[in-house]
Amino acid sequence: MEGAGIISTLSLSIVVTTIAVIEFRNLKYSAYAYCLQALLMCSIFIVFASKGNPHIYLWALFAFITKVVIIPFLLLRYIKKTTIREIKPPIGYLPSIIISCIIMIIFYNITHVNANFIAPNVEATKEPFRTILAVSFTIFVLGLYCILIRRDAIKTVHGLCILENGVHLSLVSLAPTLPETAIVGVVTDVVIAVYLTLYVIYGVYREFGTTDTYQLKNLRW
Amino acid sequence: MSEIVSSYCIWIFIVPALTAMFILLFGNKKFLREWVALIGMIITLIISIVILIETQSKVLIEFGSHLRIDSLSSLFSFIISVIGLMVIIYSFKYVEREKEKGIISDKKVKSFYWQVMLFISTMLFATTTNNIIILWVIIEATTLASAILVAFYWNKDSVEAGYKYLMLLTVGISFALFGCVLLYSGAASSLIKGEPLQISVISEAAKAGIIPSSIILLAVAFLIVGFGTKAGIAPFHAWLPDAHAEAPTPVSALLSGVMIKVGVYALIRTVTMFYTSFSIISVFIVILGIFTMVVGVFMMFIQEDLKRFLAYSSVSQMGYIIMGLGLSGVVPAMSGVVKDGSYISMYGSLFHIVNHSIIKSLLFLCVGAIVFKTGIRRINELGGLGRKMPITAFCFFIGGLAISGVPMLNGFMSKFTLFLAGVKVPGMVWTTVVAIICSILTLASFVHVSYRIFMGPISSELKSLNISEVPASMWLMMFVLVLFCFILGVSPQVIYPILNNATNVVLSIISKGGL
Repeated sequence: MEGAGIISTLSLSIVVTTIAVIEFRNLKYSAYAYCLQALLMCSIFIVFASKGNPHIYLWALFAFITKVVIIPFLLLRYIKKTTIREIKPPIGYLPSIIISCIIMIIFYNITHVNANFIAPNVEATKEPFRTILAVSFTIFVLGLYCILIRRDAIKTVHGLCILENGVHLSLVSLAPTLPETAIVGVVTDVVIAVYLTLYVIYGVYREFGTTDTYQLKNLRW
Repeated sequence: MSEIVSSYCIWIFIVPALTAMFILLFGNKKFLREWVALIGMIITLIISIVILIETQSKVLIEFGSHLRIDSLSSLFSFIISVIGLMVIIYSFKYVEREKEKGIISDKKVKSFYWQVMLFISTMLFATTTNNIIILWVIIEATTLASAILVAFYWNKDSVEAGYKYLMLLTVGISFALFGCVLLYSGAASSLIKGEPLQISVISEAAKAGIIPSSIILLAVAFLIVGFGTKAGIAPFHAWLPDAHAEAPTPVSALLSGVMIKVGVYALIRTVTMFYTSFSIISVFIVILGIFTMVVGVFMMFIQEDLKRFLAYSSVSQMGYIIMGLGLSGVVPAMSGVVKDGSYISMYGSLFHIVNHSIIKSLLFLCVGAIVFKTGIRRINELGGLGRKMPITAFCFFIGGLAISGVPMLNGFMSKFTLFLAGVKVPGMVWTTVVAIICSILTLASFVHVSYRIFMGPISSELKSLNISEVPASMWLMMFVLVLFCFILGVSPQVIYPILNNATNVVLSIISKGGL
């Protein structure tokens, strides 16, 4: 496919922005990195749409509205209401970067080599779909890592957004024929989920005076 | 079965949604929100009864089969409407009392009603849709609609529960989206009749072996993690006790009575079609069910909070349902045909879904009555309530006996069916043994807890309170549910035709060559 090189480059730079979102200790910069990641995702959609899939332009539009505009806006708004510095995570700065890079390399390789187990048809095992698929699974796992390992509740929302981006990106390879109604439903759900989670986290902040999830231990067993 | 176009498919979830919208806009007066919610729920119940009767011989479709109600869907929508109506009537006094005590404001009462109606609407939509992506969207929407209800009191415990609820369920459900997309793309990549978005078309494709077998295991694993989180299967159940305990009690009854069943419904719709492709799937589901059952029952013994106790009981009972779901696929997975206990295990599983909805709602409403009068949830602070609240005590006892599977009550009938299923399916006798032991342990824990709450001397915390029986609108709802327990326990044949049709729907999804 024409433009495969551009798409592969873009999708690999998405992985780099993911590491940035996870590793920035300033939540505001994380949100900006997330915004950049969403922008890269939109450009993948646009490149893809220009190669003969015009209805993907709409996907790019929805992704732009929700992921570049609304979600970063919500994140920044609630970061402003709570704290900008992330609560110190249990894993230090350098080890965390090393771990996320290891996860990135391992998962990227596994999914790139074994794309046949994920790809529903032969088309999806060819470049650039293969790279996109591997990237989307890698982002998904990195998002999961961010949610599991971080103490700061707002940071876990960043992880959630990354994870959802992973799913969203995989749609290009797996289901390019998916109708718009389904896409609208999925992105609306994601926006509402992020909003409600941030809203509840603000409640946590007001009740506990912190967004540290380690303080949330009243309910056990 | 013949398919006919029917607008009931839309009205069943639009009516509660419209009610929610009305309450949101005009529900500032007490009678407006209460009566509108009541009328909306009654209309929904009538529609669901009509649908239940219609679907016994036909399949209702709308929007080119994107909405599709067969007898399996109508069974679930009927349960949701019945329990929904009970909960709404029960809430009148309960919420009013919370407002009088100053726990919640008038604005919150309004948001309670519209959110409950929206929650019910999303659940009904989930059982109606035939579109796999919309199924995912709407199951996530049930989480979102109930999230603020879980964090309703907005104190330390409830915001913590709300945060965990949203985070765990959203992450869990994201896995299911991957699974759904894989199914869609597997079906879309080949030449089949109909639109590959539709679950009925996908299951036809799965039957015909069109979906590439390399992606099936991955898709099924994602779907089990995703919808299993919603259904409260261990080890993905961590959100369940927190959410059930911290939500207002009527909402707990809805969460435990119907919402987790919607997760099971999604599992039935999406996973059972692959039983014959890989025999490991059904065995894995049986093991998950047994694990859930055992984890739930042991966690019940160490609970100090009455609502958490019931929540873990829900986890344990979901184990029975999941076990039955898995058992029904063991034989078809090996031989490709439905025989030897497939029917009986699926029947038992669906029967237990109905019974658990009734019993668990009953138990939560009883606990709600105790909280209503005393404001206390800790088991060791309660005691001797039996003489003050005889009806609540009676209902709680019946609920406890029914859920442990004591004969003459409905829990016995479905559990006995599941025990029989374990014996009939070759090589699965051990499941029956574990299930019986878990039932005995359930009985022990319920007898223990009921004794501590209702018998013995009145505890020191309660002496200063003036305790009496709850208002009629509350105990009447509990009493109606007790009546259901007896009716289904003494003559389970009343529900046989409905369950039989629903079971046949599932078996026709499972079997490769038709029944």
